[in-house]
Amino acid sequence: MSENIKFTVDGKELEGQSGELLIEACEKSGIHIPRFCWHKRLEPVGMCRMCLVEVETPRGKALVPSCTTEITEDLVVDTESEIVTKAQEGILEFLLINHPLDCPVCDKAGECPLQDQTMAYGPGESRFVEEKRHFEKPIPISEVILLDRERCILCARCTRFSDEISGDPLIEFIQRGNKTEVNTFPNEPFRSYFSGNTVQICPVGALTSTSYRFKARPWDLKKVSSTCNCCSVGCSIELNTSQNKMLRILGEDNEFTNQGWLSDKGRYNFDFLHSENRVLNILNKSEDSFNEISIAEATVKIKDKINELDNPNIKFLIGSHSTNEEYFVINEVANYLNKDKFLSRDSSNVYFSDDLLFNGYFDDEYSKAKLEDLDSSETIVVWCEDIKDNLPILYLRIKKAVKNGAKLIVFGHTNTAIAGLADFYFGKGIVSNKFDLIVNPSEIEDLKNNTQGKKVTVIAGKSTVFQKKESLDKLINYLNESSELKVFNSFSKGNTFGALQNIDEVKGLNEFCNEFDNDAKNIVFTVGVNPVNSSHFAQPIKEILISSDFVVSMDLFINETTELADLILPTTSLGEKEGTITNMEMRVMKQNKILPAPGSTLSEWEYLTAILNILGGDVQYRNENEINSFLVKEYKDQQQVATFDNLNKPSNLFGVINRKEININTKDLHEDTFSLLMVRRLYGDSSTQINSPSISMLGAERFIELNSETAKKFGIKSQFGNLVQGSNSILINIDINEFLPDGLVVAPINRRGFENVDPSKEFEITEAKNREELSVN
Amino acid sequence: MKETLLLTKHMRENPEDSHLIDIYEKNNGYNAARKVLKENNPGEVIEEIKDSNIRGRGGAGFPTGVKWGFLAEDQERYLVINGDESEPGTFKDRILLERDPHQLIEGIIVTSFASNISKAFIYIRGEYAKPARRVQDAIEQAYEKGYLGKNIFDSGKNLDVVVHLGAGAYICGEETALLNSLEGRRGEPRLKPPYFPAVKGLYNKPTLVNNVETISSVPWIINNSGKDYAKLGVEGSTGTRIFSLSGHVNNPGNFEIEMGSSFGEFIDTFGKGIKENKSVKAYIPGGASAPWFKGSQLDIKMTIDDVADAKSMLGSGAVVVMDQDTNLVLAAKSIVSFFAHESCGQCTPCREGTTWLEMILDRIASGRGRTSDIDLLLDVCDNISPGLSWPPKMTTICPLGPSAVSPITSLMGSFRDEVESLLPKKVLINNE
Repeated sequence: MSENIKFTVDGKELEGQSGELLIEACEKSGIHIPRFCWHKRLEPVGMCRMCLVEVETPRGKALVPSCTTEITEDLVVDTESEIVTKAQEGILEFLLINHPLDCPVCDKAGECPLQDQTMAYGPGESRFVEEKRHFEKPIPISEVILLDRERCILCARCTRFSDEISGDPLIEFIQRGNKTEVNTFPNEPFRSYFSGNTVQICPVGALTSTSYRFKARPWDLKKVSSTCNCCSVGCSIELNTSQNKMLRILGEDNEFTNQGWLSDKGRYNFDFLHSENRVLNILNKSEDSFNEISIAEATVKIKDKINELDNPNIKFLIGSHSTNEEYFVINEVANYLNKDKFLSRDSSNVYFSDDLLFNGYFDDEYSKAKLEDLDSSETIVVWCEDIKDNLPILYLRIKKAVKNGAKLIVFGHTNTAIAGLADFYFGKGIVSNKFDLIVNPSEIEDLKNNTQGKKVTVIAGKSTVFQKKESLDKLINYLNESSELKVFNSFSKGNTFGALQNIDEVKGLNEFCNEFDNDAKNIVFTVGVNPVNSSHFAQPIKEILISSDFVVSMDLFINETTELADLILPTTSLGEKEGTITNMEMRVMKQNKILPAPGSTLSEWEYLTAILNILGGDVQYRNENEINSFLVKEYKDQQQVATFDNLNKPSNLFGVINRKEININTKDLHEDTFSLLMVRRLYGDSSTQINSPSISMLGAERFIELNSETAKKFGIKSQFGNLVQGSNSILINIDINEFLPDGLVVAPINRRGFENVDPSKEFEITEAKNREELSVN
Repeated sequence: MKETLLLTKHMRENPEDSHLIDIYEKNNGYNAARKVLKENNPGEVIEEIKDSNIRGRGGAGFPTGVKWGFLAEDQERYLVINGDESEPGTFKDRILLERDPHQLIEGIIVTSFASNISKAFIYIRGEYAKPARRVQDAIEQAYEKGYLGKNIFDSGKNLDVVVHLGAGAYICGEETALLNSLEGRRGEPRLKPPYFPAVKGLYNKPTLVNNVETISSVPWIINNSGKDYAKLGVEGSTGTRIFSLSGHVNNPGNFEIEMGSSFGEFIDTFGKGIKENKSVKAYIPGGASAPWFKGSQLDIKMTIDDVADAKSMLGSGAVVVMDQDTNLVLAAKSIVSFFAHESCGQCTPCREGTTWLEMILDRIASGRGRTSDIDLLLDVCDNISPGLSWPPKMTTICPLGPSAVSPITSLMGSFRDEVESLLPKKVLINNE
């Protein structure tokens, strides 16, 4: 237990907690000590020496780095003495003698700790007259990051981040002394899902992002806080724009969620906003081409179609990129069209586009987990789709918990990235290749010993569309009975939980395909989804959309799904709309608007209210805030509801946890024959990613994973091969992954080239004979 | 004045084959280890070492017995022998490793027993290929005899010894950098606190780090007694010490003497005077990081405390003599260049400062200096070692940076004229 202690800084008596670092304790009391290498989320290293202060010791006053000194009772500190001031000036002079001072062309200038602290603590001029140290500048160290070693002050923030936080130490110090430089290893680029964080924490302009380089000066940027919607962790972000263009996304330090970090997808997936491919006007299909029409024409057309088709089935296929307010309106419209006005169907007509949607563990008998529970859990159990690829910041939070002593138990076969951190990995022999639990969980000794009676958090979800819920039930119910269990439902896509909370009843893609009645009249609304591109159900959905009588798509781009629509309503995206979103712990957070909606685009709720209006529905709201005031009424905790006003309060800036009734109604697939396991990777071929030039290439690599035994069976020896299925042949990299069971081959579902692969059909892997063959293909 | 041979006796008497186990055993070898393991308990051994008052021979001169007593309790504890002898002018550990490896191994056995350690590492500088080979061979011989391995000397105790070679970094002689290097990390000193080796050392376990010469002294102390050892030398600097004498002397080499005589006497007796009968302009009493003494200070006594009182250190026992014709600016530059080259690069002042000092000295030495350079040199030094006091204050994690300051403060303190003579004359403007 830490206790309150008193210490003295610059003659003032302060209070702090025992064990606290001096630099932090001072900061809390408003005394700023300059620093470069210290970062509150990284282990202190005391290297830059900028934070030196004088403390009294039995042997007289001594200079110590405040970032490595813990406060003790009656510690007497001087942060402004002559010797401290001189040392700080000296350090800055040393840092600057080899710094290129190319601030006029440096991205960091204007928000640069080296600049700022030189102004505040540095000497006025340099006494260094020799030639400065030179390196080639800048060098690309990955697709998204450039390194300028001349600017580097060797604070080790980037190397520590890669080692301690993300666990992929692909950048390191090489050489020593005056020749020390940060660099990557030969032939190994800094290809980390989290590499962009190093740019953000770099205290100089040594690491820069390709997407932001030379784009703006910090003092010209317009900034607003918001929430990332790339996955359901809901990282706090800051949007930076200039001249109505999104230029940069930074991570904000939200103690509850991302703690400052972002995945590179969350950070760099924004260039699409300004892509020339974006649809900016309403498109109406006539014959085989689209022509532009007005919103008035479009709503009339929808109304006419509904009337003309006479009592059609109207279905909504929705995605994860809408706000809670938009889901609320979708629900209103869907209900109105489904039962209130035209029909009296009981069953829901809203389908959520996620292959891995299942009924989840939302009943009261399961206590729901919060991200902070990971830190206090004795054991974390994971059985779901790949966390590193689909919930990257949750991966970091689990990694942190494991580092602090939590035991990690991982069930196969999709979480092979996190398996590297696991204390126990239960793959073959426990989980069958069809994702059934072969062994009774109570008979797994290591599971029992580490969970029985303990605080356990489980991240539970379908690993693959073929997994049966009952196999998961066996594990979750066992844990729920035998331990103090908290459950995360691992729905990983964007604002899934917002959709679940704000729509009365949600069905899955399985139901969408099964319930389609070809003989009836059908209207389908797709809202920000592209299942035809990368879903297990791509083919049947494509057929449904083709045979439907009228398809209305709300989206940003013309893609595999929207090209089948009769009417495309171009929508808005991150930074162009305001609203709330709900993360996987039911934390409701704010998304803010900083950009005008481009062209004639409107937000989904605007289209939907216009449609509701023309169909004679009662529209009671004129903006997002008014919609919000309706939807908050259904939150269980009415003391602290997530209204816009509430979320703007300083105490709620990082969101409030609030729950609503959740009702998912989806069934497992009947078929369970599959030969190829198709999983979602972080980078893929979504229309937003392929239209964001800085990261579009990251999703280009085609690869499969299998273990060496399976490779042997296919007779593969090299790293390259072809995946052959009928007449379809894809050139692939072959990665050996020993966590996989024999016979299982894993392929990405969301990569270009894999769209025609059918996991339920037989396939072959042939070896590419040599590199020449690769280039020919 | 005569040598007193404790550590180097065996190698002097058996110049050809002192490194072989049979020869070592013929000369009373391994009796100390055998006796201790049979007859003593660890506490008694530590008491014996405390009685000897021996102080560490690596440079800092910390009382060895006290250090052993500090080792934190843990199931797993390690002994690490620091054989990364890299201080310019120091070459005493080399002969101990190369020519009497069994004496060291016996010392390791006794030390490990005293501290309840079953795994020891000998870290040898990478350039010491032959000494390392000899030590490795000796370890294998000791394993064959059952002196190392399981159940050594039938005592029920186990002890494994591993030899590890450095990769050419002076900084790995600093004990925590050595531990990093041993763990396969970059050779960079660790933060103290929290990484005091006796508490959080190798693999975060309590670790005893001792110099080769210190541990090589242990068998003699056991065979005789701590009190006998303490009778040698003077109070505060008991026992013998191997001094490495180099520079402009007629007879450089390693000499084992009792501490307490004067440097002048030592240089005359063993160095056989200065080459070409010149006089001494300056000398370094304890390795490249020690501040220099002037030729007029040859009567300083060779004890840890006397040298410290005179504002330098006996350090690793390397005495480097510079005659009257030595260009001291070049001498200082040579030492500063060494430290600049060996800086690990962690701390800003050392990484940037030592190289800058080297550049300034270089331009002074080559006649391109400026009148302001003396002030600049001293101020840069002050930014590495505030106040330029002795023992040095530091703005760095370890003392390597301040070590580069020593030759410059020596130069400026005692030989400022020599530096000024290389600079353009100050033009005095009389405003009155």
